[in-house]
Amino acid sequence: MFLAAISPKDNREASPDAALVRLLLQNDVGAFEKIYDKYSRIVYSLVLRIVQQSGPAEEVVQDVFLQLWRNSTQYDAARGPFVPWLLTLARNRALDTLRLKSERQRRLENQTDELFSVVVAPQYEKELDEKRRAERVRSLVGQLNPQQKRAIELAYFQGLSHSEIAAELKEPLGTVKSWIRNGLIRLKEGLHTAS
Amino acid sequence: MYEAYALGALDPPERAALEAHLATGCAECAKSVAEARWLVSQLAYLAPEAATSDMLKVRLMQTVRSDTKAKSSSPVSTGATTTASGIPYWLSAGIAALLLLTLYFAWDAHRLKEQLRAANEQNQRNEQMVASTENERAVSQQELTAMQEQMAKMRRENAILTDPSSVKITLAAQKIQAPQMVAMWHTKYGIVLTGQKVPMPSGNRVLQLWLIPKAPGSKPMPSVTVRPDANGNFVILVSNPPAASSDTKALAITEEPAGGSAAPTTTPKWVGAMS
Repeated sequence: MFLAAISPKDNREASPDAALVRLLLQNDVGAFEKIYDKYSRIVYSLVLRIVQQSGPAEEVVQDVFLQLWRNSTQYDAARGPFVPWLLTLARNRALDTLRLKSERQRRLENQTDELFSVVVAPQYEKELDEKRRAERVRSLVGQLNPQQKRAIELAYFQGLSHSEIAAELKEPLGTVKSWIRNGLIRLKEGLHTAS
Repeated sequence: MYEAYALGALDPPERAALEAHLATGCAECAKSVAEARWLVSQLAYLAPEAATSDMLKVRLMQTVRSDTKAKSSSPVSTGATTTASGIPYWLSAGIAALLLLTLYFAWDAHRLKEQLRAANEQNQRNEQMVASTENERAVSQQELTAMQEQMAKMRRENAILTDPSSVKITLAAQKIQAPQMVAMWHTKYGIVLTGQKVPMPSGNRVLQLWLIPKAPGSKPMPSVTVRPDANGNFVILVSNPPAASSDTKALAITEEPAGGSAAPTTTPKWVGAMS
């Protein structure tokens, strides 16, 4: 709840899907379908990259969108833009599946995090279409050295901690921390410069 | 630090320290974490592009529309009222159940749809019969009763699958290469257990569901048996589970002789914990 201290004003204005989400909150099936058409591809791509199998990946995507439909009030525009929130939800669900967590465990452990997570887009963030956004992120991460990129991917797509990544890559813990920290800082700066 | 936290990469002690600080209400750090979450979310775009199957959208939209209809009428209503179009609610509920089951198994929905169509046709024939003679009325009543029982079963399955209070239990295969099974347990309406591409039990043996009690030393409680169809698929309803969900710590599936067993004779092939 401490995150409620953040001013909601900018987030509302930054959310490109505010109108669709407002309709979704009114249980508008058409709005839900438009959101699915617009974002199911990136959600599925992310989930498939994490769980690696199409069957379980579709099950996770289905769960994510059904949660969105049945509990749309969980999304609060005041807490940040919609798509990063959706991607965060999808990633958490996919990692839970990867770790073979039961639905009940997930509810107990992560629901609070999902509901109260706040995402704030920086001031420089523009509304980009999904294709351009993907190209930009891939280009910037592609400029990192391979080990940096590998460490970030292990953390993001496999949910590994610093220590687990250090063990996986057989590198010192401090080195791994530096790779990830510097890699993300470079990504942030790159996104800023590109805007 | 904030980026690593948003990434979930902090080891437990570092994570706990940062969360303890955030809990003090530090707005500046909270904003940094929120911005870091946005940055980390952008990593999703590194995933190779992939497209979902068309069936996923079909299933999802069917469920969403079914949800919308369900909100306007009780999922287990047994009254004889009708919709605005004159269709009895029990028939609407049956159709909704069909749509929902399509979500889980297209094959099963198709089968049930055919059953519903046949049942409706039979119903019409029965009504004509009822109007003709007393004897025919008696026969028709039996068939109507059977059809109503089938519809009641479908309504119950629909309620279990759609009610938000139902608990989902994933049963993972144990030491065999097989897809997981999924059970939905509603404290009032029972359990719906579903399996896809399940390996066929040998000979005439069957798969049997067991409820594993929480109480130490308690024995597994036997439940229904099932044999998957030729494609390894099945959907089965347990209307009256032998134990309450609150007293159960796990569900298990074993292979047993035809007719089932009073106690497991083999080690579980699928197991799913309640919590």
